[in-house]
Amino acid sequence: MSWIREGELSFIERLSANILKAGPMPKHVAFIMDGNRRYARKRHVERQEGHTQGFEKLAETLRWCLNLNIREVTVYAFSIENFKRSKEEVDGLMELARQKFKKLLEEQENLEKHGVCIRVLGDLELLPLDLQQLIAQAVVATRTHNKCFLNVCFAYTSRHEITNAVKEMAWGVEQGLIKSSDVSESLLSKCLYSSSSPDPDLLIRTSGEVRLSDFLLWQTSYSCLVFQSVLWPEYSFWNLCEAILQYQLNYQSLQRAQEQHWEEQALQQLEADRSCVAELMRQHGSGTVADTQDRRKLLLSYTLKREERVQGFLSALQNKRDSFFHNLTSQAVLA
Amino acid sequence: MAFLYELAWRFLHVALHVQRTLLSWFRARLRSCDWRLWKRAMAALLVPVALGFHAHRRLGPAAGKRGCRRFRWGTDGRALEKLPAHVGLLIAEEEPRCADVATLVVWCMAVGISYVSVYDSRGIFRRNNSRLMEEIQRQQQELLGVDSAKYSVELVNGSSEKPDSQVFSCQAVVKVLSPDDGKSSIVSAAQQLCRAVEQRERASKDINIDLLDSMLRDSKCTPDPDLVLKFGPVESTVGFLPWHIRLTEFISFPSHVDVSYEDFFGALQHYAACEQRLGK
Repeated sequence: MSWIREGELSFIERLSANILKAGPMPKHVAFIMDGNRRYARKRHVERQEGHTQGFEKLAETLRWCLNLNIREVTVYAFSIENFKRSKEEVDGLMELARQKFKKLLEEQENLEKHGVCIRVLGDLELLPLDLQQLIAQAVVATRTHNKCFLNVCFAYTSRHEITNAVKEMAWGVEQGLIKSSDVSESLLSKCLYSSSSPDPDLLIRTSGEVRLSDFLLWQTSYSCLVFQSVLWPEYSFWNLCEAILQYQLNYQSLQRAQEQHWEEQALQQLEADRSCVAELMRQHGSGTVADTQDRRKLLLSYTLKREERVQGFLSALQNKRDSFFHNLTSQAVLA
Repeated sequence: MAFLYELAWRFLHVALHVQRTLLSWFRARLRSCDWRLWKRAMAALLVPVALGFHAHRRLGPAAGKRGCRRFRWGTDGRALEKLPAHVGLLIAEEEPRCADVATLVVWCMAVGISYVSVYDSRGIFRRNNSRLMEEIQRQQQELLGVDSAKYSVELVNGSSEKPDSQVFSCQAVVKVLSPDDGKSSIVSAAQQLCRAVEQRERASKDINIDLLDSMLRDSKCTPDPDLVLKFGPVESTVGFLPWHIRLTEFISFPSHVDVSYEDFFGALQHYAACEQRLGK
């Protein structure tokens, strides 16, 4: 079973897709694919079969998203909390991941044709080494593709991600790349695993649970949340349409809330820069003499310097992350 | 062709808006006349049609008449298998009304919930803190009457515990939250940690989830919200405490105006029936 399922929509599906596309469409959709085990129980099949069917549904959903012009999808494949499950089930899930990433490497041509870039978000070091290497190979192989993006959250929780971002910023301070006063909301966002994606517009959770379960807590603050009662392996094109319709009904109010948040964020940044400049002036003992124009100049030059520092730090962070993947792939080639 | 699609889309959205309005109108009407059977029948008809959150809301069982409500508070709370320790009231509407929010807070206190947070994305309650507080106290007297001495309130002003916050002998803690307590508080914790690293008091590798979590917890040791009741048509958390809502259950109401006690209690029952597997 491959990652991208070929095939077109039926006439009626295509018609509905076109109608939906006349309105505002989400650019990035996140899924919590819940209900594989309940599905297996309901159908009286093995638990592992439920997970396999869940993966197949993912391939199908990706196809629908492409048809609906949704270019970015993030899925919650495996939570750090899931390591608490029985050893048998965890091993089964790891084996499934191994198979699927191997398969992905085999069908690279197909992915290139569709321009699919795969990213894996999470603490990969918690995984078995061979799986880490497979994942790194898949990520490196598809990194230049830019038509559509699939982010797989594996060994992920949102609190872990936020803590990791704070750690990276502290590392930047340790290395002397940034100052502690440069820490801001936008910098933290850029240190998250999801830094290269925009925030999801729509988050869908299946199987009727109404919680986020430590998934993208930071990124979905202003996203449309849709909880659907269908089990993931039974998810249909129409369920997806229903969720998008829900997003469209919410579109304007969410847009407003988001804009308001951005404005506040910009204000906070300005305020922070101002107080840093004031602090600097006090240190140099020139606090009283500077007139408003000098002050404005100082502020401008401070802001430029801060942005430079932050850029330098972010590219160092990117290098660090890239070399982690490169080391893993070269290990795999040697082995 | 594109024009036809757009026409169809517009038609679809008008139909959905009409359906939404009708739905809330029916709700309000059916509540005012006490036709329980009618209400049940209409709910059965309309609920599956309604999109999104409220489709999953189960209606609570028929509760008694208004008159005898006062005597049921405590028993209502005890009748539930589990009661949330911390309930968040998230108002995602244009014009939040103090009186209706105060009623919800008082109901929460009455069934025995120890922590109640009130949030809106524009910080309106934060600014009108004292008005909300007065309203809560007034309604407490009114709704709970003689019992009110048992339910004292402590008002904490979000994470920025100012010395002027009103403190009474503690039974329920009512917190007023704004977006400042969300991402901004995570950012300031991060800044604090980075400053410690800058001054060589801490190393970056010492930073972990528990450390950050303890910094984001207030001095009252408020637990994470177990249940958030979201009021309003926007299906989003609109910036409500991102760090703390990891395991929070969300239940949505179309509006916070004139919520019936039955619906409120229905949400608590839904919460009590939920099983959390915590990743297992």
